Amino acid sequence: MGGIVLENVCKSFGEVSIIKDINLEIQDGEFVVFVGPSGCGKSTLLRMITGLEEVSSGRVFIKGQDMTDEKPSSRSLAMVFQSYALFPHISVRDNISFGLRISKAPKELIEEKVSYAAKTLGLEKLLDRKPRELSGGQQQRVAIGRAIVRDPTAFMFDEPLSNLDAALRVQMRVELIRLHDSLKTTMVYVTHDQVEAMTMANRIVVLQAGRIEQFDTPVELYDRPVNKFVAGFIGSPKMNFVSAQPAADNQIRLVDGTLISVPGIAHEDMTSNMTVGIRPEHLEYSHEQGDWCGTIVVEEQLGSDAFLIVEIPGVGSVTVRAVGERNYHGGETIYLTLPRHRCHVFDNHDNRISPNLSTQCTGTVTALHSA
Amino acid sequence: MTKSNNRLAVIAALFITLIFTAPIIWMVLAAFKNISDIYAIPPVWIPDFSYLDNFVLLLSENWQYLLNSVIVTLGATAVCMAFALPAAFGLVNYRFKGRNFLADWILSTRMMPPIAAAVPLFMVFNTAGMLDTIGSLIIVYAGFNLPFAIWVSMSFFRNIPKEIIEAARIEGCTWGQTFRTVALPLAKSGIATVSTFVFIFAWNELLLALFLTSREAKTFPVVISSFSTVTKTYWELISAATIIQILPPIIFTLLMQKHIVSGLTMGAVKN
Repeated sequence: MGGIVLENVCKSFGEVSIIKDINLEIQDGEFVVFVGPSGCGKSTLLRMITGLEEVSSGRVFIKGQDMTDEKPSSRSLAMVFQSYALFPHISVRDNISFGLRISKAPKELIEEKVSYAAKTLGLEKLLDRKPRELSGGQQQRVAIGRAIVRDPTAFMFDEPLSNLDAALRVQMRVELIRLHDSLKTTMVYVTHDQVEAMTMANRIVVLQAGRIEQFDTPVELYDRPVNKFVAGFIGSPKMNFVSAQPAADNQIRLVDGTLISVPGIAHEDMTSNMTVGIRPEHLEYSHEQGDWCGTIVVEEQLGSDAFLIVEIPGVGSVTVRAVGERNYHGGETIYLTLPRHRCHVFDNHDNRISPNLSTQCTGTVTALHSA
Repeated sequence: MTKSNNRLAVIAALFITLIFTAPIIWMVLAAFKNISDIYAIPPVWIPDFSYLDNFVLLLSENWQYLLNSVIVTLGATAVCMAFALPAAFGLVNYRFKGRNFLADWILSTRMMPPIAAAVPLFMVFNTAGMLDTIGSLIIVYAGFNLPFAIWVSMSFFRNIPKEIIEAARIEGCTWGQTFRTVALPLAKSGIATVSTFVFIFAWNELLLALFLTSREAKTFPVVISSFSTVTKTYWELISAATIIQILPPIIFTLLMQKHIVSGLTMGAVKN
């Protein structure tokens, strides 16, 4: 099996602790994305799997074997770098076949694999060119080609699409998903782009300050973020947060005094200084009535969506995502309603206390509990 | 700039060039003159360029010393590069305790003028029975150039993106293979630059050669210096020898020029 297991892995540079006691089990054939803000340690963690970065403590298992002290060359991994890291002095063909030539593979096998990779990635006509004669997208394909010819145990991607323009990034994203579907090899992918993470991953590792905040499927992360950090990190525009306090009859009093009752939350679950989160796309809006009344301060019209930044007295600034909306403009009054079953509630330690709700949920308490 | 100003600038430039090149021009002309023509008044401005007696006499008596120079220079350059390149690559890419100290320490040996080591070197080679041998000169020239060669090579290896080295290692290369297949080809201009400097140093070195050689391993600069004696200076032989002496560095530099230029301007602008 090509799975990867990290056991109590730590990394520090001198006094500074970068990775803090991480335990992670990546299944064979899984596409796992490491995502998190800059400096959260996602690239370091990937490099620790490859062996390019030594672990300070803990063990790294690849395919069931303890590889903690093995050299990168012995780990049978392939890596695609953000900067492509092609060898500029040799042709595309030689770049792709580099690893095979180093391992002294038979010539016929090298030719066969190179032509397969070139065909898969549309590089057939570029094989005799030097990397500098290629566009960014083509260079990235060569880097992927160099990785796939070696039949590695797992692929490591370190922000491979960051240097590409937006259109090419989308195209390459699709190509990578297809590649994973056809190769069925374990892939570990680092990105700070949550769209990449959500669209490509089987499971996502959300990291913050060297710790795993949550390791789950994209939908789980979106529907049931375990804490306020994950809730705020996943989703764009980010989730709106409003301070709240417990109130009588299992109700929650929002900072402006609005009372809401979130299905599935009992009074004993509540703490003082809670936070209620609601995603911009889940807020209901109208011209006539709602929980909150506010003024649209900014209208960001994207055509497909309108992002309305609404200033609500006593609450502050709230973002609303209005799909295809054309009738709300800056300066106008708007009424917002919080669908109770869409609310996420976090305790005074920012951990989730609201029940597990799915996006398909109809919102009834009974339905939730039975689910 | 106006046309007349332009012309003035050209004339000034030519005049300044003439001042600097006059000794070389005189020397080139003198190499094709016999001794009486060199001292003739009025001067013989243009000599007979088919007169090659000076060269024939010089080479017939000293060809083995010229050969010594070639062997010592090529040997010292090769030995110096053979040690400097792996050392520089290691200092740039390996992480180990005391790495920076080691790099600084290597450079510190450069702070001593070579002549300060002449007497100790004489004693060492004398004891080892290596005085007046080509091997001793190769060791000394390679050794004195090693700090410089390591430091300059380090800057070229540092210029190779870290990811390229890492990619090679992930692709299955050992450190040795990474060095040979990736780092060396990418540091080509650096190798050309460093080896040119080492070559020129070794080819032109006189002081240590005077100290450490007497007959067998004498190099060509020592031969040239011997033409100026207390009683007489053999201008015609000095001139001919100097032409031979300056030719190899010029040829070597021209061959390496393309790489040296890109090497010396490396990192001047962001890619």
